[in-house]
Amino acid sequence: MKPFDPRLAQSPAARAYLVLTVVLGTLSATLVVGQALLVARILTPVVSGTGTSGPVVAWPFGALLLVVGARAGVAWAQDRYALRAAARTVAELRAAVVKAWATRSPRSDVSREADVATLATRGLDALEPYLVRYLPQLVLTAILTPALVVVVWTLDWVSALVVVVTLPLVPLFMVLVGRLTAGTSERRLATVQRLGAQVLDLVAGLPTLRAFGRALGPGARVRELGEASRHATMGTLRVAFLSSMVLELLTTLSVAIVAVGVGLRLVEGAMPLEPAIAVLMLAPEVYLPLRRVGAEFHASTDGLAAADQAFRAVGARLVAARPSEGAVRAAGGTILLDDVSVRAGGRAVLAPACLSARIPLGDGTPGTGRVVALRGPSGAGKSTTVLALLGLLRPHSGRIRLAPRDATGPVDLADVDLGSWWAQLTWVPQRPTLPPGTVHDVVLAGRADGSPRGTGTAGGPAGSGVGPDLEAAARRTGLDTVVADLPLGWDTVVGLGGVGLSVGQRQRVALTAALLDDAAARPLVILDEPTAHLDARGEQAVLDTVSTWRDEGRTVLVVAHRASLLALADQVVDVSSAPAPAMTTPSAGGEA
Amino acid sequence: MSATRGPASGALRRSGDPLRRVLPLLEVRPGKVAAAIALGTLALVCAIGLAAAAAWLVARASQMPPVLTLSVAVVSVRAFGIGRGVLRYCERLASHDVALRGMAALRANVYEALARSSAPLTVRRGDLLARLGADVDDVGDVVVRALVPAGVALVVGLASVVLIGAFLPAAGATLAACLLLAGVAAPWLAARAAATVEVQGAAARGEVTALTLELLEDAAPLRVAGRFDDRLAALARADDRLTSVADAGARTTGLSALIGALAQGLAVVAAIALGVPAVLEGRLTPEELTVVVLTPLAVFEATAGLPAAAVQLHRSRAAAGRLLSLLGAGGSDVIGSSSHDRQLELPIMRRTTDHARPDDGEPDHGAPLLQLTDVTAGWGDRVVVAGISLTLGPGSVVALAGPSGVGKTTLLATAAGLIPPVSGTVASPSALLVAEDGHVFDTTVLENLRVARGEVTPDEAREALLAVGLGGWLDALPDGLGTVLGSDAAAISGGERRRLLVARALLAPARVLLVDEPAEHLDAATADALVRTLAEHARSTGRAVLVATHRLTPLADVDEVLVLGPGEPATVRARGTHEELLHDEAYAWSAAQEGASSRTE
Repeated sequence: MKPFDPRLAQSPAARAYLVLTVVLGTLSATLVVGQALLVARILTPVVSGTGTSGPVVAWPFGALLLVVGARAGVAWAQDRYALRAAARTVAELRAAVVKAWATRSPRSDVSREADVATLATRGLDALEPYLVRYLPQLVLTAILTPALVVVVWTLDWVSALVVVVTLPLVPLFMVLVGRLTAGTSERRLATVQRLGAQVLDLVAGLPTLRAFGRALGPGARVRELGEASRHATMGTLRVAFLSSMVLELLTTLSVAIVAVGVGLRLVEGAMPLEPAIAVLMLAPEVYLPLRRVGAEFHASTDGLAAADQAFRAVGARLVAARPSEGAVRAAGGTILLDDVSVRAGGRAVLAPACLSARIPLGDGTPGTGRVVALRGPSGAGKSTTVLALLGLLRPHSGRIRLAPRDATGPVDLADVDLGSWWAQLTWVPQRPTLPPGTVHDVVLAGRADGSPRGTGTAGGPAGSGVGPDLEAAARRTGLDTVVADLPLGWDTVVGLGGVGLSVGQRQRVALTAALLDDAAARPLVILDEPTAHLDARGEQAVLDTVSTWRDEGRTVLVVAHRASLLALADQVVDVSSAPAPAMTTPSAGGEA
Repeated sequence: MSATRGPASGALRRSGDPLRRVLPLLEVRPGKVAAAIALGTLALVCAIGLAAAAAWLVARASQMPPVLTLSVAVVSVRAFGIGRGVLRYCERLASHDVALRGMAALRANVYEALARSSAPLTVRRGDLLARLGADVDDVGDVVVRALVPAGVALVVGLASVVLIGAFLPAAGATLAACLLLAGVAAPWLAARAAATVEVQGAAARGEVTALTLELLEDAAPLRVAGRFDDRLAALARADDRLTSVADAGARTTGLSALIGALAQGLAVVAAIALGVPAVLEGRLTPEELTVVVLTPLAVFEATAGLPAAAVQLHRSRAAAGRLLSLLGAGGSDVIGSSSHDRQLELPIMRRTTDHARPDDGEPDHGAPLLQLTDVTAGWGDRVVVAGISLTLGPGSVVALAGPSGVGKTTLLATAAGLIPPVSGTVASPSALLVAEDGHVFDTTVLENLRVARGEVTPDEAREALLAVGLGGWLDALPDGLGTVLGSDAAAISGGERRRLLVARALLAPARVLLVDEPAEHLDAATADALVRTLAEHARSTGRAVLVATHRLTPLADVDEVLVLGPGEPATVRARGTHEELLHDEAYAWSAAQEGASSRTE
């Protein structure tokens, strides 16, 4: 793995931080050299007993004070800005990952959603130690080490030669040791992981064991497994630490060789004292960044792995720049489904398979509404059909078109501006999410962009008044009983940071909000019927709401699970699945 | 239902430092820690010795003495050069060995304490894994990352102060002051910064996580409703708050780094300021001057890791606190007496009522096996169900019906004695709760069934699997009863898993089975058959079964149905046999819906 992922430089925060680190690294190199030269300048006359009058020592001493102060300043700046830069970089990547993931097809790969969630919530945190601790040392290795080699060369080329010869040995030996031990440590690591998994299995089963009254026996087993795990881990560590021992051994030994060499040449009079002291101080500094890079190696692998995952998640997005023909006015038009098939993710099944239907849309005037039910066994592709109708998923074969009421011909949904399409419909999913706010505001939120129907509630702070429309709608959906149970009634804050509502209660809020928006502006309502265990009252509320929508002149497309809703439907569309033909090439493989 | 009540506030109050209270459970042998510290000290002594000997060598050599007089210095420089790497290797092995031993012991001790404790285990499985996984590791890390580095720094610091002080007492004193600055003040600031960021960032972090999950899970509805960009902006704002908390912490961390760097520089400057006049006055030889000036450069390596050690100490302490609260009141008396003197107290779930265990031999017909008298149940302050009275004799089968979330599980847990009733009395001498989320172990089918009873024979196992309709499944397994089920039974479907759990319950010696939602993940026919199996089993063995379900169709086979009604707390809305209840309009309607839905599906 490369020590630095160039894609990280795409993040503005990481880029700025990299620049800062390079500047600080350069500064740091200058100061290290300055400190060594100044100490040598001060000590030389004293040690050799020549020219020890005050003024000779005074200016280097003053300069040394400045250098010490500056080094402290550099250390401060590095830590001061590294953490902030890391937090910003993580935030930037998180937003990018979330955005990329959200705008891809919702039905692509369920197992990976969990991975992305882990990455976006906790995984990216691994970047912090990488950016704060590893990267600066890496930059120092790139700047300080060569700079110091050059300085040492000008002071004493023999010592520089020792450094130049030994430096490449460090990575060389580490790679060698790594190669030699890779097989052993992988085998042992697998053992350690297996033992760890066994312990966690017993832990996860503890409540079950306690219920059966058999939890005491496995305690000894946990101890045994822990011991076995320790043995295996120590085996791995014995090997793993070898590479860092090689690193330490080579670097300290090199410093010792330089020191002894300098000492012997001093005895022979082959070199003066001042460069000797400077070289002695500089030699350990040459190796220091390299040693720290080695020590933070694990931070680097975790951080880079997280970054790599993030960039792959971002890059995996099919940037579908849609050539949209713009808005199509849906009211009074028709949705045409021709032979629509969607291949179920990862399975050789088409669900739905070859679905054709004509769904006329209401136009907001009473009498034009209708209830259309999607019927079929679970797994037949009812919800997938909804996603395709929303334009979130493109059928693999067949097409979905919108025919406006006016004379213009039908337009393929793939060419319609999705924003304008979504603005003309209301979708009530099985598990609706609510924006944060009071129940009152949340229910009325949909009306801010829809055209308001004159009621008595206009304006006023939240909860200042509950208009007759809202009251009637709440009665119809059963939201009134939910509100009555809430501590502050309509003024109760729900959603993130507020009172937690159950799925059924959220559904009622969503239904109420959908009842209140303008029938002419949103002539289509798509309802994924709640499969949650509704009681009689809840069921009746859903039926009443659906009827009200129809009476307002809207088309209600319901994914129906129950007989009662099917009985209400004016039109039933049967959805079925079929085995996918072996070598189908998706005709429109792109995803929204 | 989230029921993570912190039961252990009392345990935490008893003594200050949770880390110190947990430490005995690590069973750390002081000798081993001392050995690790000694090795670490020797490794650092090599580094410092290298610097000091090299400094002396260069200064002495510049006076051009006979080469032989330098040989001791030359050899020691080389020896120090080699010794450091080797000793550091030994130290790392020694300290990791101590830490790993500690983690293994701590994990086993916590496990045993939890197993032995009578307190209810109310944490979710994920939390339990986190406590015994990551938290135990964090507590164990205190050895490698805090204890040993601090010990090494202390010994090395003292030794170098003595060495420098021997040459020039004043320089020794300034070195000591600078070491205190770098080894105490800087780590203290770093730990404080970490604590502040953790406390202040917790809210922002929680918000970031919640928003991220919401955006990922509900991306499509949010986009369709036109609220996606809004939520993304909210995430950016939450992340900004998190960044500003990190930024505030970085101010302190930066100060810590500044102090560390300044201390090292000042030590050198002070050594020069004190040493040069001393040489001029003849109190110090030139060789000693180089040693006094150049040695501090190496000494501060000992304190360099201490800020990180202090942060680790803070983290370990937090992890120890979480472990203590997991152990709670029941675990706290285990701490301090890790002897196994309570091993014989077998019934793990001690009943909340003292009722004698009936003799396992003759089932005493007539005597109730489970009796709830006017029970109000709930978690902590939250009352979920109220006014429940019911009696189960041998062979009786009773069902709790009602929508999900009405409190059926809470009532079962109360009947099992896992949580104490808020009011009323529970008499259940030998009840087994078959939880919805029972664990399937990473072992063979037979061993999984033997969790119920150690001596289950293969024939008994086969019979039980057959009874719950898993006969076909068993025949299809590659090794039959010897087939290893993957980690948490990834190899079996949700429905098979449910039935396996019921089969295991059938094999248990308990006289009363409390079965939670056996129908979950099963198609209607299988689900109904499973409830019938349970009923038949109860009648033929003289056990009692209390089953919670939201499906009404199979309840024709049970003796009595309690319909839990709406509201909080929920109460018994109706009770009677299935037949009787069919006259109840709502009950009949719900039952009819099930028929309808199983037809449409």
